[in-house]
Amino acid sequence: MLDAKIPAGPLETKWSKYKSTVKLVNPANKRKLEVIVIGTGLAGASAAAALAELGYKVKAFCFQDSARRAHSIAAQGGINAAKNYQNDGDSVFRLFYDTVKGGDYRAREGNVYRLAEVSAAIIDQCVAQGVPFAREYGGLLSNRSFGGTQVQRTFYAAGQTGQQLLLGAYSALQRQVSLGNVKMYNRHEMLEIVKVDGKARGIIARDLVSGKLERHFGHAVLICSGGYGNVFFLSTNAMGSNVTAAWKAHKQGAYFGNPCFTQIHPTCIPVSGDHQSKLTLMSESLRNDGRIWVPKKKDDNRKATDIPEEERDYYLERRYPAFGNLVPRDVASRAAKERCDAGYGVGASKMAVYLDYAEAIVRYGKIEASKKSLDHASEQEIIAMGKAVVAEKYGNLFDMYAKITGENPYETPMRIYPAVHYTMGGLWVDYDLMTTVPGLYALGEANFSDHGANRLGASALMQGLADGYFVIPYTIGNYLADEIHTKPIPLDHPAFVEAEKAVKGQLDTLMGIQGKHSVDHFHKALGKIMWDKCGMARNAKGLQEAITEIQALKEEFWKDVRIPGKQEEFNPELEKAGRVADFLELGELMCKDALQRNESCGGHFREESQTEDGEAKRNDDEFAFVAAWEYKGPSSSELHKEPLTFDIVHPSQRSYK
Amino acid sequence: MKWSQFFNTSIGKKLLVGATGLFLCSFVIVHLAGNFSLLKEDGGEAFNTYAAFMGHNGLIQFIAWGLKIVILIHAVIAIQLTIRNRAARPVKYAVRPGNKTSSWYSRQMAVMGSVLFIFIVIHLSQFWWAMHYGDIGKVSYGAVTEVGNLYEVVWFAFKESWIVALYVLGMVALSFHLIHGFKSACQTFGLNHPKYNGLISFIGVWFFGILIPLGFAVIPVVIYIKQI
Amino acid sequence: MKLTLKVWRQQNSQDKGRFESYQVSDVSTDMSFLELFDVLNERLINEGKDPIAFDHDCREGICGACSMYINGRAHGPWHETTTCQLHMRAYNDGDTIVVEPWRAAAFPVIKDLAVDRSAFDRIIQAGGYISVNTGNAVDANAIPIDKVDADAAFAAAACIGCGACVAACKNSSAMLFTSAKISQLALLPQGRPEHKQRAEDMVAQMDKEGFGSCTNTGACEAECPKGISITNIARLNREFITAGFTSK
Repeated sequence: MLDAKIPAGPLETKWSKYKSTVKLVNPANKRKLEVIVIGTGLAGASAAAALAELGYKVKAFCFQDSARRAHSIAAQGGINAAKNYQNDGDSVFRLFYDTVKGGDYRAREGNVYRLAEVSAAIIDQCVAQGVPFAREYGGLLSNRSFGGTQVQRTFYAAGQTGQQLLLGAYSALQRQVSLGNVKMYNRHEMLEIVKVDGKARGIIARDLVSGKLERHFGHAVLICSGGYGNVFFLSTNAMGSNVTAAWKAHKQGAYFGNPCFTQIHPTCIPVSGDHQSKLTLMSESLRNDGRIWVPKKKDDNRKATDIPEEERDYYLERRYPAFGNLVPRDVASRAAKERCDAGYGVGASKMAVYLDYAEAIVRYGKIEASKKSLDHASEQEIIAMGKAVVAEKYGNLFDMYAKITGENPYETPMRIYPAVHYTMGGLWVDYDLMTTVPGLYALGEANFSDHGANRLGASALMQGLADGYFVIPYTIGNYLADEIHTKPIPLDHPAFVEAEKAVKGQLDTLMGIQGKHSVDHFHKALGKIMWDKCGMARNAKGLQEAITEIQALKEEFWKDVRIPGKQEEFNPELEKAGRVADFLELGELMCKDALQRNESCGGHFREESQTEDGEAKRNDDEFAFVAAWEYKGPSSSELHKEPLTFDIVHPSQRSYK
Repeated sequence: MKWSQFFNTSIGKKLLVGATGLFLCSFVIVHLAGNFSLLKEDGGEAFNTYAAFMGHNGLIQFIAWGLKIVILIHAVIAIQLTIRNRAARPVKYAVRPGNKTSSWYSRQMAVMGSVLFIFIVIHLSQFWWAMHYGDIGKVSYGAVTEVGNLYEVVWFAFKESWIVALYVLGMVALSFHLIHGFKSACQTFGLNHPKYNGLISFIGVWFFGILIPLGFAVIPVVIYIKQI
Repeated sequence: MKLTLKVWRQQNSQDKGRFESYQVSDVSTDMSFLELFDVLNERLINEGKDPIAFDHDCREGICGACSMYINGRAHGPWHETTTCQLHMRAYNDGDTIVVEPWRAAAFPVIKDLAVDRSAFDRIIQAGGYISVNTGNAVDANAIPIDKVDADAAFAAAACIGCGACVAACKNSSAMLFTSAKISQLALLPQGRPEHKQRAEDMVAQMDKEGFGSCTNTGACEAECPKGISITNIARLNREFITAGFTSK
């Protein structure tokens, strides 16, 4: 039976009581305890730094050439915190409530409340580190509202909040490296968890430059390797983002929680051709001022600017009059797909909708004109002033759009389409962030814990840093306090030898296939299956087909993949091959999970479970649980259910009408 | 950081190059002011008196030797930095950006500096050496004691078109060296502020880069023309 | 479009390296520069040849992994654009494009176009941080910061550590990179307590790594994909000189 180990007692006191009663490790013992951290994004870098500050000996690994390049760097919008600096009624409870509701009631109340509780301290810590958040003229921090929340609780640094937060955590990490408390392993990829007597005791890693395998011991191992959106091949994730570390952990006994919960972000730049290697996200903030529409006529090939106002369908405003263009991400994404599938899509591929700033430009222009008391400004003058305001607010996003598409978004509406962006699912963890393998933890996007079936905007950064700075430093002590007598296990221990042999075996097999097709060929094929059948809308038939197709593809991969070069050298194709091999297995599990969850919730939309007017329909009676999958061998998994109980927030059907 | 460490860092060394450079900038102003007396058609009285004063005043002699040392420090450290900079890129690019990302003269400070150094050696051996150790004619003006007739030496030298050309070339090198050098020294001192950058640019380009070298170059040209 | 690519191929750090030419046809103007390399690599793999190694990750211009010195320009011809955001509409049918790795003693080539930029990490380790342990922070609004300074600190902090400044500089100087971090922290009150030590240590490390010195040509600023200004270098000079003259 899965035990989430949520402390007893009222919601408000669970964490404070936990902190004051949790086991501690004295400083002299901390020096003897080694912790391995996989990944150096917000969760990994903050955890490695915070644990090293406490005195643990930390080894941190990243596959990138520097810890600073982890994909947290690309987060644009902001980070939520219940500071209530704006005096608009925000509180820990409201942030907690919004997160549980936004997650469509598929997250644990205890974890989410803790997240909301520590959120304020994150901002303090980041400011102390020198993170240059946006400020008002009075010198105090600025906030904006984000993702349709009713309070302004999002802190930001232009459109580069993730970058600034990551660089803050990275600098804290580099400080610990210089103090000798962290040993940093760049361009290293974790390829196996080493278990001794059922506990995680180390890893096998490949030095990506020399291609050599290494053994590393740790009293505990932290998986902070991010999400698995790249299973779709095309996503907003970085090219290197992968599931390998989490998947190896899964195969060593860590349960995988809610693998089918995927977030599709509505405002991305559409695919331009077969060469497409990734999709680019444009901040959600664009929906604050832009209006989304498609032509009312099918297959309308006129230029957007030639389509008159009355022939435009502002479908979000039409369907959701209360929230309009600001409905949550999952709702906006599905609505775009619905219009395109029905034949109203725009652009060459017909798989895009318009995001139009013409009205906002005029509106801002008029405000400027009235500010400057220009009562008789011409239309052109108004438009020019409006463009200047829009450029001030969204200039960097507009420039990015122009670079990628070659179109001028100030003159013609932007074309957007949803793309895979974030995965709420991940390794199952308890309140301590420990997986089902003792001593093996998962933090940040790599775990499943806080976002339920849908993540709110500006909450990913909050969760990554909460886990790393403020949760794991306490909870890891609970485990390590009992490990102070464990001496470092020598690297010639049979468990290390066996694990390395298995990894070497897999690498040898991959290199030995010498088939006909590149790794990308298989990755693209997998991505297409996933997108078509396990994407924005899913049904039982499609998912069953997908499972069969993925199994066939996997078999073909292991017979026909071609990896050039050698094993013991810098070989990016070999790296990709290992990652795609894991994506193939994960993809199958995602489809299985989507198949068993015959309800629509958050980012997971089952066509069988919808209301008459096509809205998602949750089924709390049957599916108010976390699906935790246990690995049982190739294509074989067992489902464990962790029931979700809601003592404080009462599940209701989300409505944005 | 100890002084020895400080002046061994790249910025410490650049600080020395910049400081010596600005000192040399101030020197060229004084030098040019004196030189204009060459154009006075008084048979050389003003210039020769000035030259004699410069050649015998103890303080000025001290400064003059200091000046030569400053030039050497400026050159030696700049060479050290250049060697280091070359070593920082052992394999060169096959294609270079040309002037798309920087001005050619900002990249050719070492070349301009070398041209100037050669020019200074020639210039000193021609006039300074002649004045102090050479066998030049003497003249006396009124009650004043006999002074060397450097004026005559200069006018004689600038009869030759190639020497005039050499001096003009030297001043072209000076011009570009200072257009970049003055501003660059200010940047090295940390003087970069939107309110003053215009002024720094103006002084660097128009005063040190154009006016001063032009002033120097005009003198041999005029003397040459007068003697045709 | 049909293009000729002349690409630097180097098996490993010991190899001498050479250019190799490739003809690529059917290049779409909508492709990014790295997608052109994807397409070429796919072909090389199918032909049984070794694909071209290059660093890349986020492909949205923020991680700083991509590099490439393209026809004499760091990150190619577009202003304030990383290689991953450079699109093929920048080129014309029949063009020849020469692609080289970042060239610097401090950035040794790992393979082909991928270089080792860990020297940048070591510069940060020397002092590119504020020494504050987790949990020590005062309330975020307890320290008001002049918006002008905060904005300037942000502009400096926007550095992505790609190394284009080093690649573009004729001296392979890392002054723009180092100055961006020193400026960010010098502009904020939180960074003041250790500003002298920071400037001294980071500059010493920068020199130790074998980067050249700054001759103020401004090429770094011209090529920086994030538009980091050389005003930051002036600030670094001020910080370092003040530290050198007044530190104990």
